[in-house]
Formats: sequence, C-alpha cells, structure tokens
Amino acid sequence: MSFLELQKVEKYYGDFHAIKGIDLSIQQGEFIVFVGPSGCGKSTLLRMIAGLEEINGGDLVLDGKNITELHPSKRDLAMVFQSYALYPHMTVKDNMSFALRLAKEDPALIEEKVSKAADKLNLTDYLHRTPKELSGGQRQRVAIGRAIVRSPKVFLFDEPLSNLDAALRGQTRVEIAHLHRELNATSIYVTHDQVEAMTLADRVVVMQAGVIEQVGSPMDLYERPENKFVAQFIGMPKMNLMPAKVLGDQASGAAEVGIRPEHFTLVAAGEGDIQGRVEMVEALGNETLIHVDIDGVDEMVIVRQYEYTSLRPDNRVGIKFDASQMHRFDAQGQAIR
Amino acid sequence: MKHAKYKWNTAFTVRTIASWLVALVIFFPIFFMGVTAFKTELEAIAVPSIWSFEPTLDNFYVVQERSDYVSFAINSLITSVASTVIGLLIAAPAAYSMAFFPTKRTKDILMWMLSTKMMPAVGALIPIYVIFQSMGMLDTLGALTIIFTLMNLPIMVWMLYSYFKDIPNEILEAARMDGAGLKEEFRHILLPLGIGGLASTGLLCLVMAWNEAFWALNLGAANAGTLATMIVSYSSPEGLFWAKLSAASLLAIGPIVVFGWFCQKQLVQGLTFGAVK
Repeated sequence: MSFLELQKVEKYYGDFHAIKGIDLSIQQGEFIVFVGPSGCGKSTLLRMIAGLEEINGGDLVLDGKNITELHPSKRDLAMVFQSYALYPHMTVKDNMSFALRLAKEDPALIEEKVSKAADKLNLTDYLHRTPKELSGGQRQRVAIGRAIVRSPKVFLFDEPLSNLDAALRGQTRVEIAHLHRELNATSIYVTHDQVEAMTLADRVVVMQAGVIEQVGSPMDLYERPENKFVAQFIGMPKMNLMPAKVLGDQASGAAEVGIRPEHFTLVAAGEGDIQGRVEMVEALGNETLIHVDIDGVDEMVIVRQYEYTSLRPDNRVGIKFDASQMHRFDAQGQAIR
Repeated sequence: MKHAKYKWNTAFTVRTIASWLVALVIFFPIFFMGVTAFKTELEAIAVPSIWSFEPTLDNFYVVQERSDYVSFAINSLITSVASTVIGLLIAAPAAYSMAFFPTKRTKDILMWMLSTKMMPAVGALIPIYVIFQSMGMLDTLGALTIIFTLMNLPIMVWMLYSYFKDIPNEILEAARMDGAGLKEEFRHILLPLGIGGLASTGLLCLVMAWNEAFWALNLGAANAGTLATMIVSYSSPEGLFWAKLSAASLLAIGPIVVFGWFCQKQLVQGLTFGAVK
C-alpha cells in the first residue's frame, strides 16, 4: 500500500493540457525527484499535490485518504519554495513557529521544536532577526526549518536551490539529503538540475510535456533508459545518438543507437568501428571531452576520457566502442531490449 | 569634478526656487482665505487688500449661529468615514482576487472600472437622482454614503490591487501550506503586509469624500448637507459675504487639513501609487 498515490491526475489551463493523466505511487520515506526540461509540468504537478493548483481530473490519495479537493491548509504537507517565501514581517523564530501557532500547539512544545530545528540548521543565533537581515543561504535554511518543525506527512521542495550560488548549492544539497535520512521523511523534490536529481533521489521521475517518460532509480535511468528522451536527458554530456547505419550490422533492427561518451575509446585513424575528424578538445582537468565529426553522416559525437590527449582539431581518429553498452532505439524512439 | 559639483548646485538652486514658487502659487489662495476669515466684511472687500487689521472671530460666531457648523461637520464625518469603510470592505476582497487569482480578463475589468471615472459625473445625475427619489432617499446620509462609496470604489480597487500585487503570491501560498485558511491568511499575512496600502487608500478616499461637492449639493441639501453645501450657502444671490465665506471655508477644510497633515506620509504614498516600486 503506497503512502501517496496519484491516480490519472490531470490539469488543464484553458485548452492547454498541462498534465496528461499521471499515475504514480510513492512509498513512505522515499525521496522522489521530479526532473525535466522547463515547461514539462513538474512544478505544476508538485503544486497540484500541494493543493495550490486545482486538480482537473483523477485522484490524489494520501495515507489512505482522498485529498484531491482538500484546501492546502488541511493536507498536512510542508513546502519549501524557490523564492523561500518567508514572512517578511516576522522574525526567524516566528516564521518557523507560524504553522505550530496556527495549530494552537502548546507554547512550551513550540519553543522546544523551534530550538531543536534551529540547532539542526545552525540558526540559533539568528532566531530574532527578520528575513531581510539574513543571507540567501540562511533564508533557505529558515524555509527548510519552517517545514521540518511541523513534522508533516510529506515535504515538497520546489527548486529550492536554484537561487543559491554553486558552492552553497552543493552544500545545501548535502544538508537536505542528510535531513531526509535523519527525519525519515517522505520528500518530493522538483528540479531541472539532473545532478540534484541523481544525488538526492531514491527514485527519479523524468517528465516531458505533461507525461512521465520514466520512473526509476538514478542508475536505472542512466543504464536502462526506456526511450531516447530519457537517454539524452540523463547524463552530462548527453548520450551520443547516431543513425544505426553508421554501425552497420552491430545495430541491426534499430533506427538509432546511443552510446554514452565514456563508452567510446579513441584509437588510431583507420582502426576501430567509426572514423572521424576531431572538431574540438575540451580539457576539463579530471576529464577530457573530444568532439568528433564522424564521416558520412552529419553528426557530432563526444568521447570522454580520463587522461590527457595530444589530439588537436582536424586530426583524424578512429573510435572503438563496447557493444554491450550500446542502447538501441526503434523509429518511435523507444528502447529495444 | 569641481565643475560637476557647481552644475549640481545650480540645478539644485533652480529646482528649489521653482518648487517654492509653485508651492506659494498653490498655497496663496488658501492663505488669503485664512487671512480674510479674520477680517470684517468691509476690510475683506477692500481693494487693494488690507494686510494690517485687527483680527476678529465674529465671522466664525456668525457661521456657527446661522448655519450650525457642527451639524454639517457631523454629516461630512459620517458620510466620508462610512463610505471609506464600506468602500474598503468591498474593494479589498475584489483587489485580493484580482491580484492573487488573476484571469485573462482581470486587466480588462480594471480598465473598465477606471473608465467609469472618465465620464463626467453630471452625465449620470438625472438617473441617479431619479433612482434615489423613487427610493425616497433624497437628502439622506445613506444616499450620500452610497454615492461616495461608488464614486471612490474604482480608485480604491486600483490602489489596493497595485499594493497587493507587490506582495509575492508565494508568501500567501506558504501560509496556506502552513495551515492558514482564508481568515488566518488575511489576518496574519495580508493585513500586516498590506496595512500601508490599506491605510493610504482609506486616507485618500476619506479626503476625496470629505471634499466632494457635486453629489453633496445635488443629492443632499438641508438634512444631509455636508460642509461643501454649507460653504455654497454663503455665496448666495443676496450678495457675497467674503469674510463669512472665508470663515466657513476655513472651518470646512480645517479638520481634513489637520488630519492630512498628520498622515502626510501615507497620503503621499497613496497619491504616487504605482509610480514608485
């Protein structure tokens, strides 16, 4: 029996069908990440779960109770917003205790819960400041604190890290993962950043144009994408896609084949499976990305290797690949297994 | 650098002189009225004006005796306060829904509301007069309160809309997620964050209702007359009584000027709404 269940959930904006009948079961304690390109409906879906957007079709069941029509205040979910959305006229302490005060909890208990959360998030020294006196990272921690003092049934995160700079983003990501484990909470997290998706999620939900393309563990998606979209969306740099004819017999039955950059090996010109010309070399320190223009087709592939290369643009090279790591797709873009 | 500073100083001086000139031109009639109110009728009509005279309070006694200033003032107070309170009660929910739950037509509705202010009031006088007449409401405080409310409503909705628009929607959504229903959302979030806007809007509409003359003259005369009607009664066909007219006017604008003085900050904020973000 799943904890949170989406059953054929739909959303329309006028004539625009934003969410096209989504089914999804989430278990208690799971960390679920919705990922997809902008406009795919991932934030809309999260806001529908939160109750901030009306659900136009289907059902939403939480802990055995149908909450499709319930006002957000009655759902017992907590949300962390991208813009933090702190109450500007309240101190950090009042921000964090707001929900508990509305619920008329015992003041001593509120005090205890807030100071415990503040301690966990290193906010103890800032309890009496207002949000505008805090840095971006501190504000984000207050927003998280506001959610955790309530011990809600599910935590909802709407791109919580996208307003932070890169260093702080990495640090906060680790903190969120840590908090999730410590609180044994159920979390749903929306992001367009696949690094966040891969590092945080128990299961990733890849969305495109209002439908779920694939649900699976991060490594599942990486190693066994069900279609071309997921194959290319997960992984950085993205999977190389080529018409099957480039590989001849090895790709029989497929329309297109995909091979990740690290599954290519560069060999001397004339050897290997594919021939091409080096277009560009990106030396990133820990890895080197070599862009190769392959002969006969208008396609560019990227080869990743972990040692430096003496290759220069316009050098001729051969490429060898591991056939067991090849992904084959039919004309509709679905994986052939 | 030195040159730039010199230029700035010139500009500053010119600006200062210009603003003082404009302020004096605007203020002079009020100042002249204030002075005239303390003259005798003879001194008041003297040309050129007499500037050294024995100030007298006689005009004020006459005004109170002849037209019962206090009852007019109470009418003004009741109609302006009531119309402002009722207006806010209607405008705030309207502005709330327009600011936080906009539809494709929201902008059109706002434009339409504002467009009603572009029609001259006299254009609607006959139908409104007939309506109040058939309802037996002519010359009642109720009629004036209703008309003042309706008159200010478009401005109130516009002002509150622009103030509410400045409050990020996500803050209200966060409150909803925290368990706030509509009532708590209003009390704990919208009211504290929007109190400046509500106050400015209320103050501005209070002043506009207090100063309103057209509807007050046409719909209320004897029983429901506001201070505007009292002033008009002093510019009568029997002849102009400049000193008494000035005294009456001073009494009429006095309360609202004092009130406005104390609320300057909110009023300026209200008058420049939308201009400064």
